[in-house]
Amino acid sequence: MPASPLPSSLDLENLPDADVVALAQQGREPAFRELVRRYERPVFSLIYRMVRDRELAEDLAQDTFIKVLNHIERYRPEFKFSSWLFKIANNVAIDQMRRRTVSTVSMDGSPHAVSAAEAEASSFDVAARQETALDEIESRELGSAIEVAIARLRPEYRACIMLRHVEGRSYEEIAATLDLPLGTVKTYIHRARNELRAALEPLRKD
Amino acid sequence: MDHRHLLPSEFDLLLDGDVGFGLTPVKAHIRQCEHCRAELEAQQQVVALLDDLPDLAPAPQFADRVMAQVHVFVPWHVTARDSLRQLVPRSQPARVFAGVGALLAAFVVSLGAMALLVRVDVVLFTLGLALERGQGAAVALVGDAVSSLFGEPALRALATGGPTRVLLASLVFLFSLGAAALLLRRLAVLSSRRQS
Repeated sequence: MPASPLPSSLDLENLPDADVVALAQQGREPAFRELVRRYERPVFSLIYRMVRDRELAEDLAQDTFIKVLNHIERYRPEFKFSSWLFKIANNVAIDQMRRRTVSTVSMDGSPHAVSAAEAEASSFDVAARQETALDEIESRELGSAIEVAIARLRPEYRACIMLRHVEGRSYEEIAATLDLPLGTVKTYIHRARNELRAALEPLRKD
Repeated sequence: MDHRHLLPSEFDLLLDGDVGFGLTPVKAHIRQCEHCRAELEAQQQVVALLDDLPDLAPAPQFADRVMAQVHVFVPWHVTARDSLRQLVPRSQPARVFAGVGALLAAFVVSLGAMALLVRVDVVLFTLGLALERGQGAAVALVGDAVSSLFGEPALRALATGGPTRVLLASLVFLFSLGAAALLLRRLAVLSSRRQS
């Protein structure tokens, strides 16, 4: 039988994450590609539903993978690879959201405005802006009411509810991924479900 | 449990599909209480909507863009192992033949090592002789190099100056060599930056 140091791509698909990561740690490029193939959708979905901007979400998902894969030797097999990946994805998204909040222009207009008219011209209405953003989400791929309701949740609720229901993670995994106490995760998910339920209530009655 | 409606945590247990004896009275209450049943159905509907949310796909070139910025690092032990693997023949007969050859070679080398150990005095004498001749040859080579580079007076000055002067001259030479190497590297970096 010929010596085969690397499983074929078909074999890679059948290997558990830990084995694929071990191959990546040996510098096998197909193993890196397999990890990207497995997690590009979940990571992109999580980040997209956090930042609600496709282009930005792609950039952040790319940053997440680059961070993880360039430091693959730091991965410790006692943890799940996906938990490590989602933790970094969530941190990258939260950092971006914080930066965006800090760099947001004042609602009262530009601080560089020299006259009242200029300040008024550069000001904007929060409600109108949120509606526009949500309308845009609704009209594009986040078309359903549930997606709009998720977009209105607090970011920490959003991350928990995504990991729980879209990625099917257990409460313990979510707690480990987001560095939160287990009780807090349960509370966030409970509150998120209640908020979603309240948001969808009018549709249910229709 | 019949005297009160379910607590939020009890609804969560049902929504998360928990099983166990503790849930039997909760499930019994749901069967009897219309209010709690309606509440559970509403929450189950939300959970079903969440569970059906699709994973969204990034652009088709996403993986290529990621891989373009990933530094695939092959550790030295993997490189060494791969190099060794490449030496192993692919066909079964060739591998058997190579194995037998390797065993024979190992046997011959072991015999040679044992013979050398038995005659260790001869080995030491031969090594000493080789070392002495090598030292003489190296001194002659360095002398030739110094006289051809700096002339006969430099060689005479080194020979009569003692170890301090030799050490000093060696340090100056090494320093000049290092400075020249750094200068060349700097020039190469500047040139490549200009090109890019």
